[in-house]
Amino acid sequence: MVRLITHNILACHVKGCTSNNFPLQLQGVQIELREAEFNPEFLKTFLPKIEWKALVDTAKEARDTSLPLEQPEMLDDEFLKNLHHVLLEIHIEEGTMICPNCKHNYPISNGIPNMLLAEHEVG
Amino acid sequence: MSKYLVVFAQAHLEFRVPELESVAQLYNFQISFSDNPDERDPGRPYMIVGLDEEEHARLLAKRCILVKSIYEFYGKGANYEELHICNRSKRTLWERFIPETSFRFFVTSYNHKIPQRRQKEVVESFAYMGFMGKIDMKNPEITLGCFEEYETRNRATRERHEGDGDFLQVYFGRLIEEGSARSLIQLFDVKKRSYFGNTSMEAEISLLMANQTLASPGKLIYDPFMGTGSMAYPVAHFGAQVMGSDIDGRQMRGKGSTPGIFRAASQYGVSSRIVDICTFDVTNNPWRCGELFDAIVTDPPYGVRAGAKRLGRKKELDTSRLALYHEHCTNPRVGDSPYIPPTKPYELSNLAIFAETWGRLVFFLPTVTDEYEEVDIYTMLCEGMEVIANSLQDFGSWGRRLVTIRKVTSEKYPIPDFSSPKTEDEERHVPAHRHFREKYFQGFRKDGEGE
Ligand SMILES: C[S@@+](CC[C@H](N)C(=O)[O-])C[C@H]1O[C@@H](n2cnc3c(N)ncnc32)[C@H](O)[C@@H]1O
Ligand SMILES: [Zn+2]
Repeated sequence: MVRLITHNILACHVKGCTSNNFPLQLQGVQIELREAEFNPEFLKTFLPKIEWKALVDTAKEARDTSLPLEQPEMLDDEFLKNLHHVLLEIHIEEGTMICPNCKHNYPISNGIPNMLLAEHEVG
Repeated sequence: MSKYLVVFAQAHLEFRVPELESVAQLYNFQISFSDNPDERDPGRPYMIVGLDEEEHARLLAKRCILVKSIYEFYGKGANYEELHICNRSKRTLWERFIPETSFRFFVTSYNHKIPQRRQKEVVESFAYMGFMGKIDMKNPEITLGCFEEYETRNRATRERHEGDGDFLQVYFGRLIEEGSARSLIQLFDVKKRSYFGNTSMEAEISLLMANQTLASPGKLIYDPFMGTGSMAYPVAHFGAQVMGSDIDGRQMRGKGSTPGIFRAASQYGVSSRIVDICTFDVTNNPWRCGELFDAIVTDPPYGVRAGAKRLGRKKELDTSRLALYHEHCTNPRVGDSPYIPPTKPYELSNLAIFAETWGRLVFFLPTVTDEYEEVDIYTMLCEGMEVIANSLQDFGSWGRRLVTIRKVTSEKYPIPDFSSPKTEDEERHVPAHRHFREKYFQGFRKDGEGE
């Protein structure tokens, strides 16, 4: 159940792959929506750590266009509800995350991303 | 500040003060400890602390795993005469209860059983307080408690009532709040959990660790050696969101279609707070940047229960380092930067880059009792970190220390290089937790000792 919050903080870490290694592209993903408790306090403290454009683009791939292109200054309830849904309720159950730079494949199986590298890929 | 009497559960003595301090910090209030060493001795079952408000005592009693109850402090003494003098002088604290407050009065003891007859005598000796409200043993408005503390007799069982009245101290006060967090130990009992393994951490310790992280709603807390997730459940129970990872996905998944960690989390009603569990080697991790988490809580592998290799040779401290170490021991610079030996930091402290400024790192460090020196902990720090708690769980020849480190710099650490081997020069102080696995299996024999 890779949630989009997790997708937003994972980057490719293959040896030498240090630019254009984020966000990982989704391929063949199977998405599930699952309700989570609304926690505005958490959303507000986490907001500055988000790579906004990556989140908006990834949400679009999951057919969610509720987020504005720019992070708003006023954090009203409607915005926080949408952010909550995108970050915490969209789960990638199966599929692959692919590095845009080196094309490394990170498989997701049963909701768990496998980010392990082979020995020759380790820095 | 007013004085309160904390009655502790008889467990994990060294964890008592750090827990009180952490919970006070979590709720953002002050707690002060007595200048009198007897009153702040964490080895004793009763401790007198200073708090600004009664509400703070309630918060401590509701959240601290090691607190049995908290009383407003009225008096103490080496005998009842002294206690009564003290209690009379505190009249302003209790006179408002004289006219019509219903009350319950009890006398109890630590390590001893007081005969009924003398309990009655003790209660009667408080007659001068002149309470006129009705006595109500079931549902009183206030409860007054009197506690006699007897010396611990190592293993020797006391004859019934033997040495009665021969106590070290007696304390008296009004109940503010019965501790309610201890019942969580039952709730999180590993044996009743739908998913656990041989690396699972016992419930009480996991809860103490969760309190050291200051877990609360709004926080994101990370366990990079998650295994079967023992710390994740209490951390999530206290409202925080949890991220976990492990090099071995099977540890987190177990058998069955739903991963084991989510099964256990559902049992506690917190599965939506387990944000994700990921498979990777934390020394080669895919986090996009540092400072993502409010705290890191972990039981790292030292090879005793889970495989991990450590290199290193036993060496002596050099003279300059030794001088620094002695200076640190004799004159710890309170409020000043901590003692930082000029070593390359131990790998674990590299985890600090994932923590926010002021974020905490809470982890276990196994140590060989005879060889442990305080400097071992300090060799793990790098600039901008301070040790705020270091509590030993003693198993005799070895033990493990629950260490809490706080990141005090807002400067960014470089992305850690966990892999580069340290040079001879960088590694003069070899902490005693090196070779822990080998020593564990050798039964901690010293060099030269026979089989
Ligand atoms: C002592 S166990 C932690 C147990 C856990 N607290 C629990 O409740 O089961 C250490 C864990 O670290 C994992 N581990 C060992 N080396 C690792 C590494 N380099 N990166 C990530 N995890 C690792 C092991 O697979 C093991 O599950
Ligand atoms: Zn890559």
